[in-house]
Amino acid sequence: MARHSTGPIYTTESGVPVHGIVAEYATAADVYRAAEMIRDAGYTRWDVYSPFPIHGIDEAMGIRRTRLPILIACIGLTGAALGYLMQYWMSAVDYQLVVQGKNPASWEAYIPITFEMGILSAAFTAILGMLAFNKLPMWNHPLMRKDRFLRVSDDRLMICIEACDEKFDQEKTRHLLEAAGGTNVDLVEEEPEPVKEEPAGH
Amino acid sequence: MTSVHTHLHGSVGGDHDHHGPDRAFLLRSENITLAPGAGKGISTALLGAGVIGIVLAGIGSTMIGPLGKAHALASIHVGVMACLAMVLGNLWYVLLQSLVRAGWSATIRRQQENVATLVPLVGLGVIGVLIADLLLGHPLFTWMNKYQGDYILEGKAAWLNAPFFYLRVIVYILIWTMLARRMARLSLEQDRTGDKWLSAAAGKTSAWGMLVFALSVAFAAFDLLMSTDFRFFSTMWGVYYFAGSAYSGIAVCILVTAMLRRAGKLEGVVTDEHNHDMGKFLFAFTVFWAYIGFSQYFLIWYSNIPEETAYMLARKQGGWQVIFYVMAFGHFLAPFILMLFRPLKKRPVPLIIMSLWAILMHLVDIFWIVRPMVYSGQPGHTTDTIGLGGLWVDVVAIGGVVAVFAALVIRKVASGPLVAVNDPYMNQSLEHKNYV
Repeated sequence: MARHSTGPIYTTESGVPVHGIVAEYATAADVYRAAEMIRDAGYTRWDVYSPFPIHGIDEAMGIRRTRLPILIACIGLTGAALGYLMQYWMSAVDYQLVVQGKNPASWEAYIPITFEMGILSAAFTAILGMLAFNKLPMWNHPLMRKDRFLRVSDDRLMICIEACDEKFDQEKTRHLLEAAGGTNVDLVEEEPEPVKEEPAGH
Repeated sequence: MTSVHTHLHGSVGGDHDHHGPDRAFLLRSENITLAPGAGKGISTALLGAGVIGIVLAGIGSTMIGPLGKAHALASIHVGVMACLAMVLGNLWYVLLQSLVRAGWSATIRRQQENVATLVPLVGLGVIGVLIADLLLGHPLFTWMNKYQGDYILEGKAAWLNAPFFYLRVIVYILIWTMLARRMARLSLEQDRTGDKWLSAAAGKTSAWGMLVFALSVAFAAFDLLMSTDFRFFSTMWGVYYFAGSAYSGIAVCILVTAMLRRAGKLEGVVTDEHNHDMGKFLFAFTVFWAYIGFSQYFLIWYSNIPEETAYMLARKQGGWQVIFYVMAFGHFLAPFILMLFRPLKKRPVPLIIMSLWAILMHLVDIFWIVRPMVYSGQPGHTTDTIGLGGLWVDVVAIGGVVAVFAALVIRKVASGPLVAVNDPYMNQSLEHKNYV
């Protein structure tokens, strides 16, 4: 993760590394405006948390289009081509069998499985690629430790700017979030490293 | 979801100019109406060119051998059936949008209504072809000459007999005319009264109308296209014709809206976002057509039953196989690969090119269905070759019919307001955006 490689690591008073700064917003319109301000201030590593989808928030956040479709197209077409070649090799090269007097190398017979192979590989690329690009599955997140964060599944919208952002500055970022109309601005502590339990008896 | 959406745009719209349309400004009358007499010149020119083309085909029919008349009539039939497909495709979109209460398309629906209401005129074209066929001794619908002792035709006689056939064609045209007229009338009435319940009435009509439409189009395709090769039968046929009609129908709609935008109308009303969704339909029906077309071909190829296979054989030899492969690549593979890329579904100029290509491919498709029958003494058992000598007759005949159709579309489009202004989904359509 970038937070280990670049930029200063901020710590709270108790010495725990800072994950980021979170702010609350009451309405979708507020968070939309705040997102535009944060985008225009040049932040890149931050996210909006909302109980419902907000149309156009990706644009307000300055999120670029995903590159997943290119990957899906490439792997889908590759899968289709492999499906075709597999059948061609099996029925026309390796073990020729004349059925119904038809040419073993009939392209017609190969189309359904070629199609299925294309769909299968494209669909798997889509779902697995989506999970990978979203860093899912993610079993826990530093924000989960905040009680107030639970309200983003109910009636609150939040923005969290992460400390790994190059522009992150504890004071300036806090001011920006407040200027953007955020309330309850608060530091978020990083997940503690998992403690290795000593096996009992040693 | 709708309430959140409204809430967001309602409150954000005021101070963010890229959100929330200024409805009154966008729907100002000079933006959504053509000047009186607009398009008159081009439609008259097209009409003239079309009539000249059809007359040339008539003259040419006497110059290209003994079967010239059948040849020219088949070509005109190709043009008429392709235009009928485009009209029916647009009728389908009109019904579909009311049925599913589509919001995004409220600004383009009027153009689809315009094209759909041309159905009686294209129906007259169909009747004209049938009358010419009758006068020339059934060169097109050869089964009406009653092949003595033809076992297959005798089996089909309960359906394929002349009086019932003519009655059915009249009924199809009446059904489509009634549906198109009713949908357009409700929409135009809403323009005047602003009564939102007219949309609900249109929804009710489309619910049963869709069913009637599906059945009538399928049976019309059996009667008007499949019966030209009367020994052949395919249960996929109706869907195949529908796939081509939805494909070429959205292409017509794209071209009409693109022309209006180039004329400086519908600015901000029909945007690249609407283009994008129409482009998706064009893309989807490229694939759907190929799926249906291949499924039909595949089963016939695999089972290898003579009366079915004869149809495909006639169209896969003697030069016709060139069209078979042209369609595999031009009707499916090339547009499929190209339209995976977003700009080809969205940007006006590439989309216009793809739409013109779609209409051309649809014409080639119908041509491939109808024309191989002309020179075969025994339908379905042709030894005919493609015979490029008379091709110019095909070009002027099909081109003539399409030009007349284009003239009719332009006249119709220029005749009224370009947008269903009081559609309850108008705001949603004006601010329509494809997210992601």
